[in-house]
Amino acid sequence: MKTILKSGTALLLGLTVAGQTAAQTMITEIGEGEGQVNIVAWPGYLERGETDAAFDWITGFEEKTGCKVNIKSANTSDEMVALMNEGGFDLVTASGDASLRMVAGKRVQPINVDLIPSWSTVDERLKEAPWHYVDGTHYGVPYMWGPNVLMYSTDVFPEAPKSWDVVFTAMDFPDGKPNQGRVQAYDGPIHIADAANYLMFHQPELGITSPYELNEDQYAAALDLLRGQRKLVSRYWHDAFIQIDDFKNEGMAASGTWPFQVNLLQGDKTPVASTIPEEGATGWADSTMMHADAENPNCSYMWMEHSLASNLQSDLSVWFGANPAVPAACTDGRGMQTAEGCTTNGMDDFDRIKFWTTPVSSCESQGTCVPYYRWVSDYIGVIGGR
Amino acid sequence: MSDSALINRRGGALAQLSDTLWRRPGLLIFLLILPPALWLGIIYLGSLFALLAQSFFSIDEFTGIIQYEFTLKTYAELFRPSNFDIIIRTVVMAAAVTIGAAVIGFPVAYYAARYARGKWKAIFYLGVMMPLWSSYLVKVYSWKLILAKEGILNWLFETLHLGGLLNAYLAIPVIGGNSLSVSATGTFLVFLYVWIPFMILPIQASLERVPHTMIEASGDLGARPAQTFRHVLLPLALPGVIAGSIFTFSLTLGDYIIPQIVGSSRRFIGQAVYAYQGTAGNIPLAAAFAVVPILLMAVYLWVAKRQGAFDAL
Amino acid sequence: MTSAIRFSGVSRHYGDVKAVDTLDLDIAEGEFFAMLGPSGSGKTTSLRLIAGFERPTAGEIRIFGQIAQGIPPYKRNVNTVFQDYALFPHLNVRDNVAYGLMIAGQPKAQRHKAADGALEMVALGGYGDRKPSELSGGQRQRVALARALVNQPKALLLDEPLGALDLKLREQMQEELKSLQRSLGITFIFVTHDQGEALSMADRVAVFNKGRIVQIGAPEDIYYRPETPFVADFVGSSNVLPPEFVAKLTGKHAYGALRPESVFLAEQGHSAMVRSVSFLGAATRVSMQMDKIPLTILLPKGAVIPKAGDAVTVAWSADDLHVMDRT
Repeated sequence: MKTILKSGTALLLGLTVAGQTAAQTMITEIGEGEGQVNIVAWPGYLERGETDAAFDWITGFEEKTGCKVNIKSANTSDEMVALMNEGGFDLVTASGDASLRMVAGKRVQPINVDLIPSWSTVDERLKEAPWHYVDGTHYGVPYMWGPNVLMYSTDVFPEAPKSWDVVFTAMDFPDGKPNQGRVQAYDGPIHIADAANYLMFHQPELGITSPYELNEDQYAAALDLLRGQRKLVSRYWHDAFIQIDDFKNEGMAASGTWPFQVNLLQGDKTPVASTIPEEGATGWADSTMMHADAENPNCSYMWMEHSLASNLQSDLSVWFGANPAVPAACTDGRGMQTAEGCTTNGMDDFDRIKFWTTPVSSCESQGTCVPYYRWVSDYIGVIGGR
Repeated sequence: MSDSALINRRGGALAQLSDTLWRRPGLLIFLLILPPALWLGIIYLGSLFALLAQSFFSIDEFTGIIQYEFTLKTYAELFRPSNFDIIIRTVVMAAAVTIGAAVIGFPVAYYAARYARGKWKAIFYLGVMMPLWSSYLVKVYSWKLILAKEGILNWLFETLHLGGLLNAYLAIPVIGGNSLSVSATGTFLVFLYVWIPFMILPIQASLERVPHTMIEASGDLGARPAQTFRHVLLPLALPGVIAGSIFTFSLTLGDYIIPQIVGSSRRFIGQAVYAYQGTAGNIPLAAAFAVVPILLMAVYLWVAKRQGAFDAL
Repeated sequence: MTSAIRFSGVSRHYGDVKAVDTLDLDIAEGEFFAMLGPSGSGKTTSLRLIAGFERPTAGEIRIFGQIAQGIPPYKRNVNTVFQDYALFPHLNVRDNVAYGLMIAGQPKAQRHKAADGALEMVALGGYGDRKPSELSGGQRQRVALARALVNQPKALLLDEPLGALDLKLREQMQEELKSLQRSLGITFIFVTHDQGEALSMADRVAVFNKGRIVQIGAPEDIYYRPETPFVADFVGSSNVLPPEFVAKLTGKHAYGALRPESVFLAEQGHSAMVRSVSFLGAATRVSMQMDKIPLTILLPKGAVIPKAGDAVTVAWSADDLHVMDRT
């Protein structure tokens, strides 16, 4: 470890002056560990073998670095932002709909990727992803990503549905019964992006280029689609375990979901499968970000390196049904993940996935877009039948 | 020797303090009240006023940034159809839950107060309190299973060949749905179950306080049991019913977990507050929504007082 | 004289407890009848049986000739004044009094007029708008009385109605009740544990003990001619003399009752030892020991008062020793 750190420092010293402006608030070298690191994370993201002895990617880190890992679980992006605003934490595993807010709010500091030796192994597609790479500066280290897949009951569908229209338009399913009351949709305003993604494919005349950047007309079309969907959906899903229960006990046949639920249901022998239909899908991509006032920067950098270099990427992708940010984790046997497993989780579908990001009014593609706070109130209206 | 002098002096100081407090009982009360008053005043009222203040700000339509200038625009937002729906939906649900809880709770409380003795009284308390001991979430999740399309209630209806009846009921718009668990009726049932102890216990307490001779006197003066209920028992138990209804009404107004797990996903006030204060960053609208239950409760209490609900206190 | 209330073999048992045990009783119409006894003697239960709050486990009750079995309280033409008055706290005094009339369906103006009249009768005119909580104990008692009487019952049941009042008020109310009963001419059935109250007010007194009536009769009979040691002791605080002692004096082997005021200090008679002396105002009570028999006597004002420890001689006129044939 010492040698790695030293080489990291040496690399840093060789930095060009060009990076100097951005590097002003950055750490330039890693010192001794402070003995602990405080991390805000999604439930299930940080396992130390307590839930299942086979899944442990913390104990090794603590033994190696002497940095004790203190975990604070957060269930929503909002909670994560709130906790980071409160302070007292070093790192957070932020999704795209939270990361930019924290960057804009100056809650997180730039990351000196040169201090992270394994940075080079990160998926090229993620290295400069817009949800953590802002104005030429890295604010996060990619952690894990996954698609929002279409889950379907294999009893109802002999073969995978080709299109998301099974959850958006009224129709009869292959078993001859209507889809009304048998489909679900995500109970969050970000689901408007799923509708936009569908329209992007089926109504190119609307000119949607990103489902997160919608002008008034595009936005109105997406809401119209969702109003039609309201008639089909009896309950929107909010909590992964409630959705699992609905597929078991409420006769659900199709819904957008995370691979997490698909894995658990299949593990329970429920006849379901998942697919990414022709329109592609939305997805999430989480990054490890560092608090602007992190009290344990050295341990934080050590953790970021660990998150890329250890069994974490491989085992977590199995545990959560997601994809590692380091492609080699699928194949090099550092953990339980296999190439097939990564394929199942959607590793090869990266290009077909539009990752969650917070809609803002000043958007790149068309100047002015409908901001997120309106997504919130209008989605409430849609679910309420307006 | 010095030890005993020390102890004496200490005893003296304590005794002096006791004497002072005894001579000035007001001081004692002041000292006892001070910490809770500070707690209530600063933590509770302080945050309440902070919330109230937020509701008079507004969010800029264009940038989504909060503008710290006094305006009533945010309150006007509440009357947008989609938002007003939420208020109406929540109030109707809270009222239905309250009435349902009173109708079901009163006989239970009456039995407990008038007839249950010894062992049965203990069983009553256990029965009423037990739902309060188990985790709220566990209760709600188990109700979700009970009400599910493939749940026990549906099975019961099918077994009794009443499935058609249930389906006909579920076909009714607004209160129906694809199954009980995704219908407004389901939300109502779970609310009713979760909050009913808060109705039964105050009613029972108020009924216990009605002397038995009061009911005998009414009968003695010629009143049939129904008349006694209407003219004596109900007015005397009314403070208990009102107290219970304050619980059930306000708890339903504020809850945001149950409608999220059981029901048609249509929002209630609590969920709207949660959504608006979160990623949406629309704190003013969340605050304005949060003020609605406070106002509703104030109006409710005022009307109850005007109707003489507290006369028998 | 027709019978207002008649008990024939009436029992009220709670499990093994015989609150009322095979009771026979006949109360005449227009009578002021007192049920006297210690607590738990069955007097209140008997009253509640008449009102209909309790059901007999055996026997038959007739109210004005009609069998009461199966008739609920609200259909019985009797009204009750409760020990705790049981005024409705949420109604004002007028509405309390008018309650029975309201239940009977009388229009508001009419029943309020009747209620005000009843309040006048109990000297509470003008108190109609007050709440019961704003009245004194005596006033509440009168409201309870007015509330019962405004319904013009054929019999009025009073359950220890004066128990909560102070002495002076109690005496005043005793007289008022008596004159009220006389003027109204209806049957009053009065439950009390205060023998003075029962004797001073009632036409007839029934003394209860352990669920049974031990003696029934006019106050003078009860007072001067108790039939059992229990009545002698409970009603008159009479001295109860043991059969052996009575046998020596009269030849009859039975308990004897001797009123304290009948005994006087004399030159000749029975010797006794004074144990304590209490000054009661109009008289002085002297407790003494006559052989092994405790004896209490009342000495009138002006008599020579012995001191504790004095040896005295007491005597009484032979007529005053009442021999109780029943035990």
